[in-house]
Amino acid sequence: MPETITTTDGARAIPEVAMSTTSTLVTRTGSWKYTRPAYHDRVAPCNAGCPVGIDIEGYLNLLREGRVDEARDLLLAENPLPAVTGRVCHHPCENTCNRRTFDGAVAIHAVERAMGDLARQRPAPVLKGKRRTERVAVVGSGPAGLACAYHLARFGYGVTIYESAQEAGGMLRLGIPEYRLPREALDGDIARVVAHGVEIKCGVRIGEHVTWKELTELFSAVCIATGAHTSRALGVPGEQLPGVQPGLVFLRDVNSGKRPDLGRHVVVVGGGNTAMDCARSAMRLGAKVTVAYRRTREQMPAIKEEVDDAMREGAEFVFLANPVEFQEANGRVCALVAERMALGEPDASGRRRPVPTGEHFTIEADTVLTAIGESSALEGFFGDVEGSDSGLQVDALGGTNRDMLYAGGDVTDLARTVADALGAGKRAAIGIDRHLRRHHGDTAELNALRFADGNLSAVRWMGRDPIRRVNPVNAVVGVDDLNFAQYQRVPRHADPHLDSDRARGGFDEVNAGLSTAEAMDEAKRCLNCGVCTQCDVCLIFCPDAAITRAADGSYTIALDYCKGCGLCAAECPRGAITMTQDRP
Amino acid sequence: MSQLRIADCVPEGDLLTSGHLACPGCAAPLAMKLALKALGPNTIVVMPACCFTIIAGPWPQSSLQVPVFHTAFATGPAVASGIRAALDTQGKFDTTVLVWVGDGGTFDIGLQALSGAAERNENILYVCYDNEAYMNTGIQRSSATPWGAWTTTTPAQYPEATNKKDILAIMAAHNIPYAATATVAYPVDLIDKVTKAKAMRGTRFIHLLSPCPPGWKCGDDEGVELARMAVQSRVFPMLEVEDGRRWRFTMEHAGDPVEPYLRRQGRFRHLSAEQVSHIQAEIDAHWQQLVQRTAQDALVPA
Ligand SMILES: Cc1cc2nc3c(=O)[nH]c(=O)nc-3n(C[C@H](O)[C@H](O)[C@H](O)COP(=O)(O)OP(=O)(O)OC[C@H]3O[C@@H](n4cnc5c(N)ncnc54)[C@H](O)[C@@H]3O)c2cc1C
Ligand SMILES: Cc1ncc(C[n+]2csc(CCOP(=O)(O)OP(=O)(O)O)c2C)c(N)n1
Ligand code: SF4
Ligand code: SF4
Ligand code: SF4
Ligand SMILES: [Mg+2]
Repeated sequence: MPETITTTDGARAIPEVAMSTTSTLVTRTGSWKYTRPAYHDRVAPCNAGCPVGIDIEGYLNLLREGRVDEARDLLLAENPLPAVTGRVCHHPCENTCNRRTFDGAVAIHAVERAMGDLARQRPAPVLKGKRRTERVAVVGSGPAGLACAYHLARFGYGVTIYESAQEAGGMLRLGIPEYRLPREALDGDIARVVAHGVEIKCGVRIGEHVTWKELTELFSAVCIATGAHTSRALGVPGEQLPGVQPGLVFLRDVNSGKRPDLGRHVVVVGGGNTAMDCARSAMRLGAKVTVAYRRTREQMPAIKEEVDDAMREGAEFVFLANPVEFQEANGRVCALVAERMALGEPDASGRRRPVPTGEHFTIEADTVLTAIGESSALEGFFGDVEGSDSGLQVDALGGTNRDMLYAGGDVTDLARTVADALGAGKRAAIGIDRHLRRHHGDTAELNALRFADGNLSAVRWMGRDPIRRVNPVNAVVGVDDLNFAQYQRVPRHADPHLDSDRARGGFDEVNAGLSTAEAMDEAKRCLNCGVCTQCDVCLIFCPDAAITRAADGSYTIALDYCKGCGLCAAECPRGAITMTQDRP
Repeated sequence: MSQLRIADCVPEGDLLTSGHLACPGCAAPLAMKLALKALGPNTIVVMPACCFTIIAGPWPQSSLQVPVFHTAFATGPAVASGIRAALDTQGKFDTTVLVWVGDGGTFDIGLQALSGAAERNENILYVCYDNEAYMNTGIQRSSATPWGAWTTTTPAQYPEATNKKDILAIMAAHNIPYAATATVAYPVDLIDKVTKAKAMRGTRFIHLLSPCPPGWKCGDDEGVELARMAVQSRVFPMLEVEDGRRWRFTMEHAGDPVEPYLRRQGRFRHLSAEQVSHIQAEIDAHWQQLVQRTAQDALVPA
């Protein structure tokens, strides 16, 4: 009778040579841990940084997987005008992109543009939802109005846009020139909005052809998206002289096909997008252009690329030049007198304030185009709506102090860009939907619709987020949360530009954009911050073999064995695993 | 594709089971898990006394799904030679005999047995997982402990005063068919080397850097990153030597400064700036030597 011994699997005979008969699975090493890993998808910083509220990471990831149609639909679900924003958006998403300091931000705008152009050749993905009986009026067909109408149509409402101009598009048509935004790109995006059932009535000015009161009686809700179209005056002597005109008026003429004679030397006053578009358009009409700006290059509010292009095309820049007077010869402007400025203390915007030096100089001018900003004409039609000189005041969902009146875009006191207008239009659409459905959500509900602290998501509002998210946490994944060792450096695709001589010779699009193939490659540069791509890195590096992959690609951590080392979280390329304290 | 697709190159399925007794974040079981992916089930492991003896589990358990022979500290290659002979007698030429052993068991006490086996060109695969001290018995220095490191026998006032032995050169000097370095930060490189070694006959040697959180005084989640830094700062270059003559780097080495690598480990916390510069100078000199050796690769006929 051999000796016996009692082990974890019961009493057994002691063999001549000690030989293992079971695995270590009987030892629950999970009890050792004091931190535990969990899969938590988080929010990519690009998503949080996009004023429109686009799931950029989401569609880039779909593109990486070759699911082009789904990517396009996800983009279109949040942004009605991708061919437009891909061209003219100042792309703050790229400033927050986690790839920025590694080897250059993902060229999100270029991918968006390629997607927008692809979407043009494709019927609009109209939603088959419940139709609603209420009708909503939108006043103004700029990006804010188009976005509000588009999302409302997708929510099931009948929508009519009233537009005072002869064609829809707002500043996209009246302000931004064709060499930056070809009209077929704009028309394609607008056609998709119309295909959603939105009716656009052009040539109707509310307050003139139809009163605001009538509008509020005819419709269940109204969104005011009338923009900011009044050029600010400089308020200096000689501003009334022939030859001095608001840049916006000039751009509207050029954009409607006119080719005014500006003379030889044109001076543009200002440093924003309007100023750059005036300068570049004037050069295309054969003028020699000088831009006078009272601050410095770094402080210019214009999109950086536009300033670069204006310089490349030959515009001369005089910085720290503040206009004090226009001089006259033969009943027309002949020169601008400016005072040399110096940089002083920072002002409210944080930029150093220009202060006068007392030194004056003259710049010769046959025409002067003023572009120091636009204000909205709050003409008193809705005089009881609260606002100030800088625009109407709205809440987080575009609501004004009047129950059924919503507003968005340049007419409000918020940031004035195409993306901000599109985001505001979406917020107003959700606000109107909530109002008409008597839905009273709290702040937490609203915050759950945001990409972290970014804009609202329409797909989340409709409960149709197509992206599978693992225990999502609505917080941004920072650059320190990523593991760059798992990535290769791949240079960013640069936008190909027309050479300056050709660019200056006409109104052809200057930025030729990426080919579809290049754009798809660029999409693959995305690190997919915060969202698990099922890359297996965590599983490969777990020293305790505690992670397994299921048939659907999802992962399970055997917490009975996981010792909480944190290697999975440390090695995850994209910060999709979070370690939490297990015991105090 | 911007992410390195390591998943495509790492075989599925593990012959290492959970519940093993390694410390949290220990690189040794990770190294074993990856090596066994390349070797497969037709493998016999010979294991002299080391941390992995414990990791493998107490009787009657085992964390390895292949046979393991626990052997006396100095005898790994001798036992492996015997097992090889027994297998060959039975015609089991395809079974890999793997000696899996620590740095103490390789650089110090096992060196004569290893040298003898290599001299005879025994048909075995020898993997030294190097955590740079006798960890299992409480962090005593070995001849693999780097210059300047703290251990319990080389306290911070009198840190390790000799350079780490160049074990790869020692083994290459035996003119064995294959000698290489590897580490857990580069699973694909590790698996490639083990796969290549598996297909060869004769003595094959892999020197595998294996970070040890308690012994190196680093965070449990830092081992892989430290292994990566060791490679990229050229502290532990990734190499292959065939027939003792053809030296080859198996990846690019960025040549990052060594200081961040040292500063992340408590065992180097006491080092002065001068001592760090000394270490850097040694690394640079060794690198130059390697550059020359690898440059000769082209001159040596295969
Ligand atoms: C020259 C220029 C270049 C610009 N470049 C850029 C750029 O590159 N990138 C960028 O992000 N932003 C740019 N902007 C800013 C951007 O165009 C605006 O922020 C954006 O268009 C605002 O959208 P919106 O819908 O609020 O208003 P708008 O686009 O101004 O549209 C308002 C519409 O309402 C109509 N309307 C007004 N009153 C009435 C009424 N009573 N009844 C009916 N219709 C009415 C107007 O005719 C207009 O079509 C530029 C602006 C200008 C002027
Ligand atoms: C002859 C002999 N001396 C001492 C020991 C005690 N001992 C067991 S493991 C070990 C340390 C092994 O160090 P190393 O080979 O570096 O492996 P590690 O534990 O560090 O993984 C020692 C000294 C022993 N088992 N046999
Ligand atoms: S890498 Fe991709 S997901 Fe991350 S911020 Fe940039 S675009 Fe967004
Ligand atoms: S790597 Fe493995 S053991 Fe470590 S925390 Fe992650 S799941 Fe747990
Ligand atoms: S390592 Fe890869 S598979 Fe694991 S959580 Fe991160 S992204 Fe997902
Ligand atoms: Mg050791």
